[in-house]
Amino acid sequence: MAPYTGTRTPRVEDPRLLTGTGTYVDDVVRPGMLHACFVRSPVARARIAAIDVSEALRLDGVHAVFVAQDLNSGVHEQWYTLNGPEDPDTPRPPLAADEVRFVGDPVAMVVAVDRYRAEDAAELVVVDYDELPPVVDYATALESTESVHATHPGNLVGELAGRPMEELAPVFEDAPHVVGVTIRQQAYCPVPLETRGIVAEWSAPAGEMTVWAATQSPHEVRSFCARLLGVDEHRVRVVMRDTGGGFGQKVLPQREDMCVLLAAAKLPAALKWIEDRQEHLMAAGQARHEHGEARLALDDEGRILAATLDHVQDAGAYPTPSPVQSGLAVGLLFPGPYRIPQGTFRSRFVFSNTSGRVAYRGPWQFESMAREVLLDTAARRIGMDPVELRRRNMLRREDLPTANFNGMPYDHITPYETFEQALEMLDCPAFRREQEQARAQGRYLGLGTCTYVEPTAGATPFHGTEGATIRIEPSGKVNVYVAGGSCGNSLETTVVQLTADALGAAIEDVSTIQGDTALTPYGAGTGGSRSGPMTAGAIAETAAGLRDRILAIAGHRLEVAVEKLELTGSRASVTGDPEKSLTLAEIADIAYFQPHAMPPGVPAGLEASGRYRSPHLMIWANATHLCTCEVDIVTGGVKLLRYIVSEDCGPMINPSVVEGQIYGGTVQGIGGALYEHLAYDEDGNPLATTFMDYLLPTATEVPVIELGHIETPSPGPGGHKGVGEGGAIGSAPAIVNAVADALAPLGVEIGRLPLTPASIVELVEQAGVMTP
Amino acid sequence: MKPAAFEYHAPTSAEETVALLAELGDEGKTIAGGQSLVPMLALRLATFGHLVDLRRVHELRGIEQRDGTVRIGATTTQATLQRSEDIRDLVPLLARATPLIGHFQIRSRGTVGGSLAHADAAAEYPAVALTLDAELEALSVRGRRTIPAARFLTGTWTTALAEDELLTAVTFPVWRRPRGFAIEEFARRSGDFALAGAAVAVGLDAGGRVDRCAIGLFGLGPSACRAHTAEAGTMGREPAEDMADDIGRQALADLDSIPSDLHGSAGYRKRVGAAMVARAWRRAVREAVHG
Repeated sequence: MAPYTGTRTPRVEDPRLLTGTGTYVDDVVRPGMLHACFVRSPVARARIAAIDVSEALRLDGVHAVFVAQDLNSGVHEQWYTLNGPEDPDTPRPPLAADEVRFVGDPVAMVVAVDRYRAEDAAELVVVDYDELPPVVDYATALESTESVHATHPGNLVGELAGRPMEELAPVFEDAPHVVGVTIRQQAYCPVPLETRGIVAEWSAPAGEMTVWAATQSPHEVRSFCARLLGVDEHRVRVVMRDTGGGFGQKVLPQREDMCVLLAAAKLPAALKWIEDRQEHLMAAGQARHEHGEARLALDDEGRILAATLDHVQDAGAYPTPSPVQSGLAVGLLFPGPYRIPQGTFRSRFVFSNTSGRVAYRGPWQFESMAREVLLDTAARRIGMDPVELRRRNMLRREDLPTANFNGMPYDHITPYETFEQALEMLDCPAFRREQEQARAQGRYLGLGTCTYVEPTAGATPFHGTEGATIRIEPSGKVNVYVAGGSCGNSLETTVVQLTADALGAAIEDVSTIQGDTALTPYGAGTGGSRSGPMTAGAIAETAAGLRDRILAIAGHRLEVAVEKLELTGSRASVTGDPEKSLTLAEIADIAYFQPHAMPPGVPAGLEASGRYRSPHLMIWANATHLCTCEVDIVTGGVKLLRYIVSEDCGPMINPSVVEGQIYGGTVQGIGGALYEHLAYDEDGNPLATTFMDYLLPTATEVPVIELGHIETPSPGPGGHKGVGEGGAIGSAPAIVNAVADALAPLGVEIGRLPLTPASIVELVEQAGVMTP
Repeated sequence: MKPAAFEYHAPTSAEETVALLAELGDEGKTIAGGQSLVPMLALRLATFGHLVDLRRVHELRGIEQRDGTVRIGATTTQATLQRSEDIRDLVPLLARATPLIGHFQIRSRGTVGGSLAHADAAAEYPAVALTLDAELEALSVRGRRTIPAARFLTGTWTTALAEDELLTAVTFPVWRRPRGFAIEEFARRSGDFALAGAAVAVGLDAGGRVDRCAIGLFGLGPSACRAHTAEAGTMGREPAEDMADDIGRQALADLDSIPSDLHGSAGYRKRVGAAMVARAWRRAVREAVHG
């Protein structure tokens, strides 16, 4: 019996988070703590001719001003466990040494008694820049004679491809219909509510480093710090309690973190750096900036014969990590949940003099954008409803298991069921009628969908195992220790629910400790939609042995066979004779303090550690996003009318947590489709460095999100699938398709994002149907 | 994102305030709700050696009726205006403009005088003051003077206020009935500064013809402005809703410094501005004719 898993257990994090008493990295205060502020490049590309820090150093309260010569040579090793030491990584110096490569590139770091004074001093650092022609537009960077990094002439970071495109040529030549589109997606970024931040404190006598970080992966920060400084890993401790959003951006330490770690080892007190929002929008990284030419070959009935994607992605100047390894997923997942007999892809990753690419919730999202926009365009060009085209081509239960044309092995997914459920929730025929009536009145309504499959809990070397320690204290209270890295994604609640059920404990008796590398088992943290399935595996593995021990002790004391015992509500009782029972506290008392009363062969104490090793290369999840909108063709404003998500993440551990994940991801996609744009001008100046210009969707822009649920267990622990990223994958393509559907009667096709009001008006004007 | 150091002053009377302003010269800056000034200080887009906080100058707060006008103290908050029944009845355009300002948290701190003195090109209050021919009162150690709204707004973030002058109040005339008012704007998101906006005020004579018309535009130039040619074209005519598109086009025809940025080109804003004038005209006329 599992009284908690599957229920809307209130979040255990909420009492502290909702009363403003969480502990974020900026809440950490250490004796004599110093504060860092970066001097950043105001130009996109220049040689650093000279840096004069003398005036800054003269300011009262300034402890140090570090430049590249002071810090960069301190780097011992610099690579991420996520990608491994063999990954051909991209350059990543702590501070810019010879050349600055984007506006915001850190050139110097001021250390002062407080952040105010540090900012005063940063204004006094004088840097002479010899400006160089920047490579701003990644889309033309491959043809540029200028190089962002001299090590990479031509600006190509790397290239990946499936089978040669030429092999597909005959299919396209013979196909009754061939449809091609080019989709250009803008740069946007994770924008967690809490910006980046780190506190590092070096204890020279002990040779120990303690780090407090805003991170999704405290153990990655620890390993990285140990390698960076050449300090033994067990002498580094990383602590995180609350992190205010990560979305992939806080998976890995970046250049500023390196500077703080390197400088802290030279300072007499802890050093804190809290990024401000302007720095964040300039330098914390960009994502989603890519384009692709997608092509589809179809037969006369609209059945897909082949599909190809030629994809180019912006890496920025200093991507974290190198984009090539993670970028592979765009091509591999491009076929999506459709029967596409053959196809291929090519992906190229290109440097530019802009903020570096970082991971962002569903980093491969472009596969869905390219495919789903292509499908809608194809349907309209061949005179078919996009819904009908999908029905004819979408994978159904009887097609499974199967592999897509890149060999991705799909199983336990329900794309067709989610698609039909979403359409039914909308009442699609009724919407089409309403749409037709509105068009007669000069109003433009549209319907868009996106159906995708996504790999969750991928068993990469770093992500493929997860540990847990469960300790039942002498009082019978339970503590469960996992690596953590929760950024608001309810990992504490999840772990408490799973542990209470696995041990038959009352949930109020269970607590969890996460995020401190000195206390918790090693683990990769949150990312890759892994925490649900992987912690479920770790807890199941660890709790099983502990449960056996509890029952053995109880059976021995109550003189019954363990098969006759049930464990529920923190009590082991004899089935059919509930009077005969022992509480967890009583059992713990025996385990710790009455060794003579222990059954033979059962170890004393009630503590166990285990490590789950996933036998599944990945666990597939899937969903359909559907939305309707109205477009005002005079202003170009888009109003979302209904938004529906039907998803299959298997049995839910906590429906409220699942819904929260889907809502949050969906809203990020709404931002990506309509509002957010990390834009640069042609000289490489960022145009959106505050929330006045970087527009996040707010409560007034977001419609009610209606959810449907299909439940197909995965082969993994508990049948659970990851659900962290999907919302951010399916949403933007669905919205783009809805706007395209609304404007279709005007002959408009969409190829460039985001869909700002001005860009929509431009499209409508170009279609020639408007008088200004 | 921390402001440079400044000295903080908290005077308790207008007299004391203007004495301070006279003494501090260009090193001094008054702060009311701080909704624009504080972000500018934090971003170090502006730096002042001295901030003079008006929150304890109680005489600058309040709404009163005086001889067919409504006088509003400069530090009266936008939220207070939004709640005021007098404003709703007597200066409906101001009441309708208020919810368009930022979000309710901003309106709880933001003040009437702060919005007017800051004079953002896309702000609602300067446009409303201009449309309704409001008068602004300024005080300095040199004395008190009244400035018509049309002369008050001089450009991007600039006004006719001298360095040592304090904006103390704004007075709105009450239009007699039948009259209609409307304000329309288009912003990227609810609460953002408008990409283009228009306020329309229409008064009718006994025969139902336009005898007063004011069209204010915002977000469409260095500061809010009036569309005088378009206004004049409506005088003496029977107001019809189908004139709206022509009035909209005419109102925007002469503008030559429409801003252009990430969110929209000048051409786009011009088109949206015309649509906003047309929409506001329709609503204002409907109100003037049907009450």
